Amino acid sequence: MKKKILVANRGEIALRVIRAIQELGYSAVAVYESPDNEGLHIRTADEAVWLGDGPRCDYLDIEKVIKAAQKTGAEAIHPGYGFLAENPDFAKACEDNGIIFIGPPASVVRSLGDKVMARKIMAEAGIPMVPGTPSLAPGEAGMNVAVEFCQKHGYPVMLKATAGGGGRGIRQIDNEQQLQTEIPIARAEARAAFNNDAVFIEKLVLNPKHIEVQIMADQAGTTIHLGSRDCSIQRRNQKLIEIAPSLIPDQELVDQICRTAVKAAKAAGYVNAGTVEFLVDDDHNFYFMEINTRIQVEHTVTEMVTGIDIVRTQIKLALGKKLAFAQDDVQIRGYAIEVRINAEDPQNNFMPEGGKKIAVYRSPGGHGVRLDGFAYQGFTIPEAYDSLLVKLTVHGFSWNETVDRLRRCLNNFVIIGPKTTIPFYLRVIDNQEFRRGDFNTAFLTIHDYLLEYEDVTSECDKLARLIAEIHYRKQNSYAI
Amino acid sequence: MERIIHGMSPGEALAILRRADGYYVTNTARDLSQSDYKNRILLNTDLLAAKHREQAGYFSLEITGGASIHVDILRKQVDPFLKLELLREKMPKTMFQTLCRGINLFGYRPYPQNVIRLVVREFAKYVDVWRVFDFLNHVSNMIAVFEEVQRAGKILEPSLCFSTGPEHTDEYYLKKVGEILDVTGSDVVLCFKNHGGLGTPKRIGNLVDAVLQQYPDLIIHYHGHNTDSNDIGRITAAVRAGAKIIDASDHALSGFYGPPPVLTAVHTLNEYGYKAVGIDEEAVIATSEALRGQRKYYEYFESQFKGFDPTVQIHKLPGGAAGSSFEQATKGGFLEQVPAILHRELPKVQRELGNFWSVTPGSQILWTTAISHVQSGERYANPSGDLKNLLLGKYGPFPFYQPPDWIYEKVFGDQWREILREEGGMDQIADMDIEQEYRTLADKLGYEPTQQQLVSYLQHPNDTVAFFKFEEKFGKVYVLPPGVFFRRGGFKLGEIINFRDHYGKEHVVEIGPMQRDETGKTHVYLNVDHHERRYEFEPEEESGVQACGVKAVKLNKQEINKLAKIGDIRAPFGANVCEVEIKIGDQVKVDDRLLILEAMKMQTPINSQVAGKVESIAVKVGSAVKPGDELVKIIVT
Repeated sequence: MKKKILVANRGEIALRVIRAIQELGYSAVAVYESPDNEGLHIRTADEAVWLGDGPRCDYLDIEKVIKAAQKTGAEAIHPGYGFLAENPDFAKACEDNGIIFIGPPASVVRSLGDKVMARKIMAEAGIPMVPGTPSLAPGEAGMNVAVEFCQKHGYPVMLKATAGGGGRGIRQIDNEQQLQTEIPIARAEARAAFNNDAVFIEKLVLNPKHIEVQIMADQAGTTIHLGSRDCSIQRRNQKLIEIAPSLIPDQELVDQICRTAVKAAKAAGYVNAGTVEFLVDDDHNFYFMEINTRIQVEHTVTEMVTGIDIVRTQIKLALGKKLAFAQDDVQIRGYAIEVRINAEDPQNNFMPEGGKKIAVYRSPGGHGVRLDGFAYQGFTIPEAYDSLLVKLTVHGFSWNETVDRLRRCLNNFVIIGPKTTIPFYLRVIDNQEFRRGDFNTAFLTIHDYLLEYEDVTSECDKLARLIAEIHYRKQNSYAI
Repeated sequence: MERIIHGMSPGEALAILRRADGYYVTNTARDLSQSDYKNRILLNTDLLAAKHREQAGYFSLEITGGASIHVDILRKQVDPFLKLELLREKMPKTMFQTLCRGINLFGYRPYPQNVIRLVVREFAKYVDVWRVFDFLNHVSNMIAVFEEVQRAGKILEPSLCFSTGPEHTDEYYLKKVGEILDVTGSDVVLCFKNHGGLGTPKRIGNLVDAVLQQYPDLIIHYHGHNTDSNDIGRITAAVRAGAKIIDASDHALSGFYGPPPVLTAVHTLNEYGYKAVGIDEEAVIATSEALRGQRKYYEYFESQFKGFDPTVQIHKLPGGAAGSSFEQATKGGFLEQVPAILHRELPKVQRELGNFWSVTPGSQILWTTAISHVQSGERYANPSGDLKNLLLGKYGPFPFYQPPDWIYEKVFGDQWREILREEGGMDQIADMDIEQEYRTLADKLGYEPTQQQLVSYLQHPNDTVAFFKFEEKFGKVYVLPPGVFFRRGGFKLGEIINFRDHYGKEHVVEIGPMQRDETGKTHVYLNVDHHERRYEFEPEEESGVQACGVKAVKLNKQEINKLAKIGDIRAPFGANVCEVEIKIGDQVKVDDRLLILEAMKMQTPINSQVAGKVESIAVKVGSAVKPGDELVKIIVT
């Protein structure tokens, strides 16, 4: 009987994984909640299991997913990204039920998911981190430590509540005078908010680049990297445009970052595919942020420049195979850019356009073009899930050629019905700094005018609109 | 047989005209459209006819000017310059002719000199023959245009408006011809502009003969209308007396108020031994064959009164104003009164006001005055601003006699002599700050306008801005045929509309269903180039008063006047608001101008009858108001 693998996800990533499963000659099992019953992943998979009415709760229901695997006889589960992908309990449940979890062992998912634990592992392995103090001692002693730290590393710094989280209890300090006045206030606030007045100081990395490294590791302990990605173009920590490889001109620095990523993965006992994220500042300092223990949305750009099918490799590694290529076999060719085409209105605070029907869908094609989508003409975008319609990834021999190709594809893309982020991307790629590769995570904050553009309507649409109006009003009120 | 073609200098063209053995024909497509179809013949239709008209060998195609430029942007939603460019592409040889109202250009009241010169210079890039007139035959009103046309190297065709009556003698017209030639020199074509189709063939023949006796080398262009069905007679008489160019139209579209058919004139004159130079009769026929199928789409715009009208000799309403006047009567609900107005009140007003030429803007002044008399039952009681200006001589001196004193007294009150002495006579109109107007237009459009856009804006500011906004929204709509553009009652489900857009791309639109949802919105589905599209329409607004649950109260004239005296200014008649000169919070004095209303292209200022502070303004520029509608409220202080 054919091997069966269940895909515990929806949308484009479910399709992406199903494709890899089917290319390996296995059967793919899809799962779905009711709002997704028009989803393309159901139609493409060999089997599909309905989990429940949803929305969102059933995709997150470990028990139901495990049951679906057992019912269909799937021997492995690929979790995609989001939902259960980084839930150690799910990885553990798979292990406990004798199902192969396509990803790292549950213990690794757990330890890397815990920020404090992860920092500890990395610090012990000598991975560079954003400099910071331990929790400051009360009174004069703590203040002295703080002043000394700031003199050494320079302002601005971040003053954080040790017990804080999710952005709470954080303030930026720009000079010593401010430091002196703010520490007592921060302590008082922290005591009130978290019942713990411990605070510490961390260097603020100003407008860094977001650079990450794709890691592959087999169960025998061989760990290699597939090069770097630049994901600096973000809006509120949401990545919009991803590029491989990084555009940092200093190749030695990039190599150093990649080697550090491998070291970090080894320190964590990493297995399968993962991503090590770093912040890189203007002075070429780089600092470890975190390791993502799943397939990333932007894995496509790495696949384009290396030619390696990461998802296929993930499955093979999970099934116990060894890496079929060594570090030296990994060659980076040209550049790739991925844009996430979302059904959102960039001019209305990127408000999702869920619930709308796609009246016209025409996608571009040609050399160096890859599409990972799940939308089709006539498809109504479910309101319950994220707004990603399709990932457009282009590959080119040079950076310029790649950007040119991206512009051509965006211009050739026709999606009518929901508003999309396409016109916004067109504005971004025409920006001179983007074209020069000169950008960091502050790009969209600095260039907020990129959101100011007018909707382009074709001449035929304009005329058809008048015809609709003549039809509706029973006469041409502009001519009477 | 020499054809006169685009690109020839006026000297060359005039030399050919002078030595021609025969006469030439102008195809007055614009005047036909204005007289019989309320100016609605679309560029789309003119483009269908272009190839054949080019082949037909006319002296010129009269295709722009008159009221058409305003209607182009207001109702046909086409740029008057783009229209000329596109026609020129298809008609490389034929001269294009315009009709220009002198100091009033293509509008209804005088423009500043610098605007006139700029407008003429810009249009002269496209227009070869310039027919210029003034409704008072006041030559100095035409001089700026004369000069710019001659400077641009185009053919100048100064015109004398023609009418009948005891004052309209050969001597009078001969004197006027002399006045004109003194200004223009002899290298011009002189036009007799018979916009009403007045007089008999004999009268026209005598007049042309008298002029040529005195000026034997003068080229005379006879322009007439066929309202009484006798223009072929007048044309024949004119040519037999020596006129070298005549005006006629395509028979497939010819109606009752425009010029007569080309072929009828050509065949008639042929019998008398006069040849139409360059005319290809087969091409004239082919033009009408191309146009014939289009006529049905314009039916709605044909005159309410069908049939020839010999009483034009009495009421003298020009063909070009017939359609719009009857349209106004229909909209105003007094169509049944029109015959009486035409037969009695209009001729009476005409005689009282000086027996000048009933043509724009004079024809509108006569017409609105006459209907106001009939509707209010009181003569000269509600004078329009334009009538006052006429009486004050703002348009120029009366050609024959001043209207009687009692009219002045009625219009201006006891102090009329003083008012006439102090305010009478033509004003020197100050030049406009064109650079400032350019900036204003740029602000309104949101981009830097072209010179052509500026020229349109200087003439019709609000309508030009509205048009270019329309074009941004709906594209270049001239590509839609009249059967689509003027469709009434909606399309049939499944009906297929094919067109090629301005840029040359072919499109197909299929009409889908129309549905109303629970919120009252209507959704129109179209299949556009094989893709389904949906267009949303908000529920129609109920008419203002009803929506508020207040019953509309009909106010009579006295009540409206009474309210005005306590600061509640109501519309005294149905009109469009064309200017608002105050803002909320402004302090106003008695007689300060609040706003200007426009009806029948005639403007009437509404002045405050109280002093106080503007509390509210219920209308804005472009609002349509009915009699009694609220305009402005002033708190009396």
